[in-house]
Amino acid sequence: MASKLGTVISSATEIAKGLGITLREMMQPALTEDYPDVAPSFQERYRGKHVLRRDENGLEKCVGCFLCAAACPVECIYIEAAENTELVRISGGERYAKVYNIDYSRCIFCGYCVEACPTDAITHGHGFELASYDVSTLIQRKEMMLEAAKPGAKAPVIAPVAAGGHH
Amino acid sequence: MADVTFTVNGKSLQAPAGTLLIDACKRSGIEIPAFCYYEGLALQAACRMCLVEVEKAPKLLAGCTLPVAEGMVVHTESPAVVKARKTTLEFLLTNHPLDCPVCDKGGECELQDMVFRYGAGESRFTEIKHHVDEKQWSPVVYFDAPRCILCYRCVRICDEGLGVKALGVTNRGAYAEITPNKGDHLECDECGSCIDICPVGALTSGIYRYQTRPWEMEHVGTICTHCSNGCKTTLGVKNDQIIRGNNRDRSGINGEFLCVKGRYAFDFVGHAERLQSPLMRVDGKLVEVSWSKALAHVAQKFSEIKAAGGKFGVIGSEHTTNEENFYLQKFARQGLGTPHIDHRRSGDVPALLDAVSGKSGALATTADLYNAKAVLIIGSDLSQQHPFLAYQIRSDARHHQAKIFTVTEGPVREDKVAAKKVRAAAGEQLAAVMGLAEDLRAAGDLVVVFGDSIQGSAVGELVSFIDSLGVPAKYVCLVDYANSRGALDMGLAPHLGPGYHAAAQTGMSLSEMLADATLDALWVVGSNPLKSAKLASEKAFVVVQELFLTETAQRADVVLPAASAYEKSGTVTNVCGEAQRLRKAVSVMGAKADLDIFGLLARGMRLDLGQAAPDKVFEEIRTSVHGYNVPLPVIATGGAAMTAPVNGRLPAAAQPPAIQSARDSLFTSGSLGRYSKVLKTVLEAPGGLYKP
Repeated sequence: MASKLGTVISSATEIAKGLGITLREMMQPALTEDYPDVAPSFQERYRGKHVLRRDENGLEKCVGCFLCAAACPVECIYIEAAENTELVRISGGERYAKVYNIDYSRCIFCGYCVEACPTDAITHGHGFELASYDVSTLIQRKEMMLEAAKPGAKAPVIAPVAAGGHH
Repeated sequence: MADVTFTVNGKSLQAPAGTLLIDACKRSGIEIPAFCYYEGLALQAACRMCLVEVEKAPKLLAGCTLPVAEGMVVHTESPAVVKARKTTLEFLLTNHPLDCPVCDKGGECELQDMVFRYGAGESRFTEIKHHVDEKQWSPVVYFDAPRCILCYRCVRICDEGLGVKALGVTNRGAYAEITPNKGDHLECDECGSCIDICPVGALTSGIYRYQTRPWEMEHVGTICTHCSNGCKTTLGVKNDQIIRGNNRDRSGINGEFLCVKGRYAFDFVGHAERLQSPLMRVDGKLVEVSWSKALAHVAQKFSEIKAAGGKFGVIGSEHTTNEENFYLQKFARQGLGTPHIDHRRSGDVPALLDAVSGKSGALATTADLYNAKAVLIIGSDLSQQHPFLAYQIRSDARHHQAKIFTVTEGPVREDKVAAKKVRAAAGEQLAAVMGLAEDLRAAGDLVVVFGDSIQGSAVGELVSFIDSLGVPAKYVCLVDYANSRGALDMGLAPHLGPGYHAAAQTGMSLSEMLADATLDALWVVGSNPLKSAKLASEKAFVVVQELFLTETAQRADVVLPAASAYEKSGTVTNVCGEAQRLRKAVSVMGAKADLDIFGLLARGMRLDLGQAAPDKVFEEIRTSVHGYNVPLPVIATGGAAMTAPVNGRLPAAAQPPAIQSARDSLFTSGSLGRYSKVLKTVLEAPGGLYKP
């Protein structure tokens, strides 16, 4: 008899202990977020959709060196390079990326491209809403990844004749 | 020379006395790093990268100028050597900008590789680097002085290899700079050898500049489509576009040599005027039609003319492959039943083969030109028309002290290395050669190179004169274009079939076809005979297979757009008779390979001429054309196989054919050259430059 009562008491103590933890945690601030009602927050080093950076003059940092494409384990980066001239000056170096595409149907967000970049032109942003019903929309062009020029920055020189020309 | 025994890193080695230590080590698999040392060029000892420790020598010695000696004990990896290399590299990098990400050489840069392997990783120099702005020396050559490590390779290749001497060094010490012959620009062959040989990115190509990086391209080794020398050019291809041409891997008969055409003049491939659709004459005007319509029309017209017993004339090309030429002559002779087949002839190869019949090994290879004790050049400005043959001869004179004799109309660059130079008009050159009898006899082991000034009976006279000297001799009969030789070998001649066998029936020559007012059909493949002549027959149904709307194509009733040599597979035979394989580098819209067109036409006419596929036709050539039973592995792996079509006495032509070289310069290439932007832009004064 005594042993039965002992079992009840010890069980009740355990339940109270467990619920105590629950009660204590209920008082703590929540770790989960109300996405999509509330915009999510990220750790600074979160590897999301890439952002192509500009320098302090508003020129593109990318000099078209292809090292990101070489480092990419899934070969999802496609670049066509061209030379900066007096009429067309896009980047700070001698060369710029005329075409810069990333295929997000293949990207594994490993960050090797960011590590390989000698000019810190490619970085991981915090963009993550990349899902799509159409694979073809997963190829992002340079214009879709390039950060906006800071207000007051000198815009790149693009002469109307030479822009878009091939050779 | 006798072998000496010496020790490197504790390993006992043997090499002929006089061998340079750097070469002896390389042969034994021991690397001594160097920048300025370059096999085949004069010694410089400028870079100090090859310093090694030699026991009993008070200081480190330069391995590139040190001949091995008996009992020498060398250390190439001792602490002193390792430290010296680190310091040398640190010193080379004092002014060298660290702009590898934007440098075209990045990825194939010798300085990059050396620093990676032997460098210190960190520099003690914190001073501001000496900067000089980049200069453009010509449309194809850019020079970035701070990147230069002053190895003098470019200076030496230009002087020794090309015989141009367009580069030198001005100023001293840290301000020393490579400078072109005209101060601020180049007047030279524009061959780009200096760019190729530069170990760093100091010299860069205006064509390839900033377009891509070396590892991003596919590298396709094929044969240059321009002159007849048959240089191998490795095309860098990306997205079906040819981006550059070079031959850094030294594969092929030409090693790393390329002239302006092989290196840059591939740009005609993407020319805006390239034909992309078949054209058919409707109401007197050429209009674009579909392939099926154009082919059906040609097949129907050809069948009608054949059924009515009409007269066909067929003109082949000096640019199309052996397979295409063979199939075309078969098409003409068996398919259309016409004996009238010819092409524009630029050298009297049949006369040479006839004259040397009965001799073995009488035809020189390009390698023979480099190894001969003496070379006799008759009637050709080789540096302009046959740059690779000229390079071989120049190297022969430099490396083997060969005696060179020039018998030409005007001064030529080979005069500079010639033991004797003789000026004679075209008709007097044979007599002038005979005047050199004593010199030629004394020189011995001769290669005779002759152009179109020696043709017909003069070839036989030349050969019997050389025979009378009693020295071993080999011959090269110069022809113009990439497969001029192959066109003759494959029987594109009115009296000669494949392998120089007599044709069953002798037909009309090219000029006779054009002059024949009763011709019913003219089929022109990759040739432009109407540039300089008129077609007499007004009723002739003219079919032209071409890349561009040439003068001949404008007269055509049907124009079929053809693929260039960079867009198809097959084999070509160079001026010396070496067969080599073309590899398809790119595809273009609309055009078809000539062989494919022949196959489709044969099918349209219900002719059974065999499968029109390059490998199938090549197999037929190997088994049926005299002298073409070449080893397949050599061809398949991109090597050059010598063909030997000497086949007894040759049947004489009905009348001597008109043979004239187009006399292209370094900067022209028949109708292909007209569509190369590079060839047109590098010349400041067409024809006026680069005369010796």
